Amino acid sequence: MNNRSLKILSLGFLMSILLAISAFPTGDSYPTGITDDNLVKNGCTCHSTGPMDSNVIINLTNLPEIYNSSKVYTLTLKISGGPDALTDGNQGGFFIQTNYGTLESIDNNTWVPEGETHLTHNEEGNNYREWSFNWIAPESDSKIVEFTVYGNSVNGANGSIGDYWNKGEFSSAGVNAKIAEDHGELSMPKKMIYAFTVLVVTLGVVVIGNRMVVNEQSFEDIIKDCWKATYPWLTTTDHKYIGTLYICTGFGFFFVGGILGLLIRWQLFEPRIDGDFLTYEEYNSTFTMHGTTMIFMAAMPIIFGFANYLIPLQIGARDLAFPRLNALSYWLLPTGGFVVYMGYFTGGAGDVGWTGYTPYASGDFSTTPGTDFWVAGQIMLGASSTLTAINFLTTMLRMRAPGVTMMRMPLFAWSIFVTVFLLLLSIPVFTVALILLMADRTFGTLYFDVAAGGDPILWQHLFWYFGHPEVYIVILPAFGVLSEIISTFSRRPIFGYTSMVYAMATIGIISFVVYGHHMFTTGADPLFRFIVMLTTMLVAVPTGIKIFNWLATMTGGSIVLKTPMVFALGTVITFTIGGITGIICASIPVDVGIHDGYFVVAHFHYVLVGGTVFSFIAGVYYWYPKMVGKIMNEKLGLLHFALTFISFNVAFYPMHNVGLSGMPRRYATYDASLTELNQMITIGAFVFGFVQLIFVYNVLYSYKYGKEAGDNPWDGWSLEWATSSPPPHNSFTEIPTLKVAEEED
Amino acid sequence: MSLLHDLIFFENPTIWNDFGGTSGGLLGVVWQMAIWSIIVAILVTGWMIYNLIYFRRADGDPEHEDALKAGVFPHERGNAKIEIAWTIAPLILVSWLTLISLAPLDYLWDVDGQEEDITIEVTAGRFYWSFATPICNEEKSDKEEWCSTGIYQEPEGFDQCETSTARGCLEIPHGAVVHFRLNSVDVLHAFNFPELGIKQDVMPNLETLSWLDTGEYEAGQYSIWCAEYCGEEHSLMDADIFITETEIA
Repeated sequence: MNNRSLKILSLGFLMSILLAISAFPTGDSYPTGITDDNLVKNGCTCHSTGPMDSNVIINLTNLPEIYNSSKVYTLTLKISGGPDALTDGNQGGFFIQTNYGTLESIDNNTWVPEGETHLTHNEEGNNYREWSFNWIAPESDSKIVEFTVYGNSVNGANGSIGDYWNKGEFSSAGVNAKIAEDHGELSMPKKMIYAFTVLVVTLGVVVIGNRMVVNEQSFEDIIKDCWKATYPWLTTTDHKYIGTLYICTGFGFFFVGGILGLLIRWQLFEPRIDGDFLTYEEYNSTFTMHGTTMIFMAAMPIIFGFANYLIPLQIGARDLAFPRLNALSYWLLPTGGFVVYMGYFTGGAGDVGWTGYTPYASGDFSTTPGTDFWVAGQIMLGASSTLTAINFLTTMLRMRAPGVTMMRMPLFAWSIFVTVFLLLLSIPVFTVALILLMADRTFGTLYFDVAAGGDPILWQHLFWYFGHPEVYIVILPAFGVLSEIISTFSRRPIFGYTSMVYAMATIGIISFVVYGHHMFTTGADPLFRFIVMLTTMLVAVPTGIKIFNWLATMTGGSIVLKTPMVFALGTVITFTIGGITGIICASIPVDVGIHDGYFVVAHFHYVLVGGTVFSFIAGVYYWYPKMVGKIMNEKLGLLHFALTFISFNVAFYPMHNVGLSGMPRRYATYDASLTELNQMITIGAFVFGFVQLIFVYNVLYSYKYGKEAGDNPWDGWSLEWATSSPPPHNSFTEIPTLKVAEEED
Repeated sequence: MSLLHDLIFFENPTIWNDFGGTSGGLLGVVWQMAIWSIIVAILVTGWMIYNLIYFRRADGDPEHEDALKAGVFPHERGNAKIEIAWTIAPLILVSWLTLISLAPLDYLWDVDGQEEDITIEVTAGRFYWSFATPICNEEKSDKEEWCSTGIYQEPEGFDQCETSTARGCLEIPHGAVVHFRLNSVDVLHAFNFPELGIKQDVMPNLETLSWLDTGEYEAGQYSIWCAEYCGEEHSLMDADIFITETEIA
């Protein structure tokens, strides 16, 4: 394509995007009539004859500068200025709204409309320009309460001519809020970000300074050395380098997401009032970022890191089909991740939950500014995943070495094959939904606007159509890893290879027709909910086949208990528990009781941490020798497993109990009777977090002091073990041929 | 000691409740779920432990007959009969669990089939519950006693005993079928009685229904929480519900 046609093409794209934007439904044309909040707020739609008038003066007296919690204050609102009023006619009206506490009428002149929180005048009340009413201060005394008042000064003549209105804003602060402000105290996440920055800068100075002094290098030389070491990583298209980058980025985000998880747990150590540790708003951001980080920036990158590194090796290809596209997919990940995290620097990261349910996420409700960044960053991550899916599909369908037929691919390769299929069919739906959401939030469109007649559960359909295949996207590769490890360390072929493949394919197909089980308590069609209950139950069948096949592989084998195998077996147990609770959640009558509660939180942590994360930690122990050429330390590995397995169960098992007692998820505080169990969870979570440092230490330690691995340290069969450790630059010196055992005999 | 007790017993009466008598006892859906969970967990762990006891070998033991070789696709192992057996067994199990879910489901969803004694309009907003109820309670004509909480709004037309609106608390009579018509004024909420095992999302622009037979439960104070994330004070969005032994007016 020449330069000119490229220009025309991009102009065309630009034009069509502009056209699309102008074709969006816009904000003024509500099909259900005008429900503009501002008109309600004026309290006097009949008098809206022009802009605010500064001659009208609004006074709110008896409002304390510092309020006490739950105390009742009688406030007086007075309007002066404006037109002279007839003595016995209508004189004025008002509207007052506050963000905290409750407004209450104390006489016949004012009322709170049904279902509203604001206070306004009534028929009798508009004969006055002064009104008194009660304000009950909020329970928390750390709030800054703001009052918004609209006052209308009326001349009492018929019609609205000569009536003027104005707006007033007043505030009152709680006892604790005032102190916090006086000291200019930083919020917890800000403190952590500053501390982290200081730490990084200090480390940088120490390292560079050390080299300048000890090696007597100049500053420029050190920077040049750094650049030389970094440059190949920035420009690489080699699947092994990109795979390593993915894995490191994934575990890096796993660390960040883990810290967010610990913040959540510390907040829930005891029932806390707003701002005791995190404010409720910060808490909401924290669980949103925890979920988003763990799914999109930790689990998926780790999976695709391993896929990048291993799939070409396992199918005997030199690289992926589109190496540059692969590099683009990778670089969209840290970029998207950075954009999602930008929220922290703009007044609070996204706080809509990782599910981002509308209309909360789409409307003008008080989401933090970071929500826009959350949406934008996720679109990038979606693009990254879509490109990756195309890349792997092409590679695995077109670039298999001689002898590697579809039914002779290793099970890890098969799991990735099914996964990328799911990814390609599901994630574009999510990306499109996010684009619609972004249009709603920033361009004023009305796709999810309920007031304009939008369906309140449209987003849930779009999200879960992607969201449920997504959970299989993260669990299927884990099945692949477990199949490889269990077979290798039982030192015999997997039991029922063919049924394993069919089981994975079945899970892949079923995954698209179960998503409604996230919507059992919505008002969705009962038939729809009933059908997805049936299909969800069916998932247990192929999953059961896999678990039984693994166990049958071990029976009669020669099991060697090395760290990867121990981790894999631990995973089988935790994943089985997670699978069982999944079936419990699938039964609608039971789910009605436990939906959106901690039982569900326990279930998906058992599946995602106990399934995906554990098996990929096992994968690190298993493939580290291939990637680095050295075996990881066994003793540290077993210690890591023992502590991880115990603390994991201490942290997540009690969540079942907490959930059955009724604690809903995403609660920043809870019923005091659940304190003991929550403290146990928190302690378990902190131990779980800290023992992962053993793993980090082991990786670094073994990189330097590990035993030489050799090409095939575990006696595996797939093609990656047929090349050297680490593999040569082009992965294979010559393209291998997969032999078949039957022909060898 | 109590922590251990909490871990072993799931102390929530309604979790073990029988969904209006449709699914009680050991053959009821909750007990069956618990029993089969334990059986499956024991089966998997037991089989794994058995494997580890009988088939564990030290590293460097003599090679297995069909040991793996790098670059060679191994012998296919399998046994069609066994594999079909453990396809059909879970299928039967989940069919059974689905089957026993049907009766309580029929009960939970049978809003229309239940003749209502009272209908209560519930309005959810950030972050409150408000209830419009037609109940007129003669015995507690003192409005301060009407709901035993401090959060109380003067019910419109309280004197006429036609409808009254209260925010944050609700009193319903014992032994009545109560229908809730649920609406939200802003975002999604979920109407949740944690102690009674009832949950229904509340949406703007889409009325949802829930119902409760108060005769199934003991008279007393229960709570209503919001179970669908709705913003900053999501965890504080609660209301009290009193089931009292009174005559329906």
